[in-house]
Amino acid sequence: MRNNLKTLRLAQGWSQGVLADRLEVSRQTVNALETGRYDPSLPLAFRIARLFEQPIEAVFLPDPEPTTAGSAR
Amino acid sequence: MTNNLDSRTVSAGDRQRSRSYHREFWPGIAAYVVLVSLCPLLTRAADGSPWRYLWAVLPVLPALWVLRAVVRHLRRIDDYQRLLMLRGLGVGFGLAMVASLTLGLLELAGLDLPTGWIVYGVGMLGWAIAAATAARR
Repeated sequence: MRNNLKTLRLAQGWSQGVLADRLEVSRQTVNALETGRYDPSLPLAFRIARLFEQPIEAVFLPDPEPTTAGSAR
Repeated sequence: MTNNLDSRTVSAGDRQRSRSYHREFWPGIAAYVVLVSLCPLLTRAADGSPWRYLWAVLPVLPALWVLRAVVRHLRRIDDYQRLLMLRGLGVGFGLAMVASLTLGLLELAGLDLPTGWIVYGVGMLGWAIAAATAARR
């Protein structure tokens, strides 16, 4: 799953630490979310969307569908 | 400015959680070290008496305190950190089991080793290395 977390955070002028405190998670978790190493739980995903006043689908985007050899033909 | 916003400094919440953990963890370790140092003296003094078994297991009390500190820390941290910590514990447990099996087989072959301490050491070391590796990411 991809996300716009870093863009949204920078638009607010927040450091990872500030965002972490606002979400009540660690800075390490924010970093893992931004770099795509960790997909958040649903409650955390909703908390993030609420914090940035965005619909959840504007923050989190599904990975592009893998193109298989069969569908390419 | 962007560099500043991308800084890897810990957040206020991280600092607070870490402080709480250390406040609970280190007194337990200190008490453990003191009791482990006193244990041989106490058991020797009670030689021949059943009390020596009680003195011998006395360091388990601070070890339980340390375990309590770890469990409380697990409840304080968020899902991702909990995942990393439990993964580290899993690595430690796996290594301890492999060490235990290896040492058991060596004992069957007649080798006399302090098995319990080695298993404990391997497990703790595995956990510490896995946790440190995860924390660097």
